[in-house]
Amino acid sequence: MNKNIDDKIVELIKKNENISNKEISRITGIPEKEVETRIRGFSDSREKIMIVDDEMSTLLPLKRSLEAQGYIVIEAYDGYQAIEKAKTELPELIVLDLMLPGIDGFEVCAQLKKDEITGKIPVIMLTAKDEVRDKVEGLEMGADDYVTKPFNLNELKARIKNVLKRSKE
Amino acid sequence: MVYVSYEHSQAAIHNSVNTNLLVATENTGKAIDNWMDARKDDLRIISYIAENSENEKLQKYLNSFQNEHEGVYLEFFIIDAGGNIIFSTLNNPSNALKEPFLKDALEGRLFISDVSLSSTTNLPEIIITNPMRKNDTITGIMGARVSIENLYMIIEGIDIGRSGEIFLVNNKGELIFHKDRFRILHEKINNNFAVKEVIYEKRGVGDYINYKGENVLGSYYWLPLYRWGLVVEQKRDEAYADIITLEKETAVISIFAVFCVVLVAIVISKRITEPIESLKNGAAGLVNGHFKPISVSSKNEIGELTEIFNQTAEELLDIRKKLETKIKLANKDLEEKNKELIRANEELKKLDNLKSDFISLVSHELKTPLSAIRTSAEFLESEDTMDPDVEKEMLNNVIMNVDRLTRLINDILDLSKIEAGKMEFHYEKVNVQEIAKAAIENIRYLALKNNIAINREIPEYLSPLLADKDKLIIVLNNLLSNALKFTYNGGEVVLSAKEEKNYIEIGIKDTGIGIEKDKVAKIFDKFYQADSTSRRKIGGSGLGLSISSAIIRAHGSEIYVESEPRKGSLFYFRLKKFETI
Repeated sequence: MNKNIDDKIVELIKKNENISNKEISRITGIPEKEVETRIRGFSDSREKIMIVDDEMSTLLPLKRSLEAQGYIVIEAYDGYQAIEKAKTELPELIVLDLMLPGIDGFEVCAQLKKDEITGKIPVIMLTAKDEVRDKVEGLEMGADDYVTKPFNLNELKARIKNVLKRSKE
Repeated sequence: MVYVSYEHSQAAIHNSVNTNLLVATENTGKAIDNWMDARKDDLRIISYIAENSENEKLQKYLNSFQNEHEGVYLEFFIIDAGGNIIFSTLNNPSNALKEPFLKDALEGRLFISDVSLSSTTNLPEIIITNPMRKNDTITGIMGARVSIENLYMIIEGIDIGRSGEIFLVNNKGELIFHKDRFRILHEKINNNFAVKEVIYEKRGVGDYINYKGENVLGSYYWLPLYRWGLVVEQKRDEAYADIITLEKETAVISIFAVFCVVLVAIVISKRITEPIESLKNGAAGLVNGHFKPISVSSKNEIGELTEIFNQTAEELLDIRKKLETKIKLANKDLEEKNKELIRANEELKKLDNLKSDFISLVSHELKTPLSAIRTSAEFLESEDTMDPDVEKEMLNNVIMNVDRLTRLINDILDLSKIEAGKMEFHYEKVNVQEIAKAAIENIRYLALKNNIAINREIPEYLSPLLADKDKLIIVLNNLLSNALKFTYNGGEVVLSAKEEKNYIEIGIKDTGIGIEKDKVAKIFDKFYQADSTSRRKIGGSGLGLSISSAIIRAHGSEIYVESEPRKGSLFYFRLKKFETI
């Protein structure tokens, strides 16, 4: 479906090079913002990763590290924001912290997996908790992997690579 | 009783039957004796005559004697001392010499032989002999062969009933008299109780099964002179006919008696069981505690028992009531104690939960900055070429999180010290103006940055406080920084103090986001943040209020909160004035 929308947008641009995002949004029925993101995505072949964490100090080094690896990184600070951004930004992967204000990571994961568009986005759970119970619960919610804090950055990067590779197969 | 009387009657009848039979037997025996005595007398007389008479004369006398006695005497004979028959009334004298009586006769005694079958007539006979003397010398023996048919007839004359049987045996058990004559000396009776007894020379009466296999009552009588046993038997049915009648009557009487007894028993038992039943019910009621005194219906032992029971029951009920009251009180006491225990237990559980919650919270709070430090450092280490701005950003992140960790650890240590009662407080005279200035100074930079005005509303003259100065500054700092954190840019925070009669009230008021009513109670909990997003924006260990509250509590007071969402909050506490004594 995503592909179809992208194809449609490309087709529209081919027909009329000067077509506005607003016009495309009207024709395809997709929000203007999403149209913008998709169009930007055509020119950027880098993989997009969303990090969801309410702790800026945790999020920041991870963001910088992934950026240095050549990923596009977008941030979300709570559960609602995460779900919203997942739908508009359509990241290739989500790194999701469990302890979030508002709705927690489990709930975010469950909601993402329920949605047709976001359901296929792989999720790596990230939390300070390291109890087996949390891991099982996270995986039951549809998380693709699990990393506990404090994590090894290289390990997380390897996992991200791995999950991305798997999701493309 | 019926049975006893039956027993008695039966025994009496039995006795009388037995006695009758015995008497009849004895009479028979006596009749035999009489008859035999007559024979003996006869022979003595004849002997005497024979001693003094000529043979011819004797012959005539004896013949007439025989006639007189109608076939009793079959033969008279005389034997000389040598054992030869020298005289006989018969032409063919019997061979009497072989008889053993000779010896007795020669010794001067009268002898009666056993019954034997006559060699001439083949009828039962006895031989009686008596010595003859001349000048005290035995010259011979006078003997007589005697038919005992006459005797038999006498015996048969005795009434022994329809089924009765009478017979004589010799000492070998051979029949020497029976109504069936052909059996005499042809039959020997061994398997008969009375015969066995009688040949042991006994007399008596008894019930037994006779030689014919019949149940009989038998009487036996030993006649020692002739060595004869007389046995009279009667079938039991007949002998005890009266007893059988008695048995039947007894049975009828017994059944009637049993019926009567049962009837009487029912009546009597009812009279006995009814009071016992009511006693029983009374006892059961006593057990249940619903006792009603039992009415005494009779004046017998049961009536007395009932009265005693009533008395005892009343006493028991009294004791029971007292005990019940005691138990109730004890139970109540126990219940209360139990409730206290449950309460204490719940509190302990709560404390335990709090403790484990605290540990998990602390671990999370510690891990988060650690994680940030590690990730930042790892990133710095891994990249060879790095944007200097990013590098600085990472180093800054490390420093920030180290500070945060240090603060957190200090706060935790402070809090556990206070909670363990190990924090020392140095109470002194504290000037409110002074500490207010110090506290504001510490947060001035933060306030300026966020464009929040901090105002002091503290009167010029204010009584000094009795407090730990340093700790009080910590409290003010915590409350002020909290106020700043939750106040929008351009807002206002006021630190006020006012003097009351016994204390000074210090308040920190802000125009911030306020606290929802349901969250007010929780804000003093460790690591609690009314709005979780606040942590990211505001920072702080989450222990500030807990510590502040503990410090003020150590001063014997309490921090109060008044708050309205979106309008602001007021935190205030009261401290004792410093009094110069």
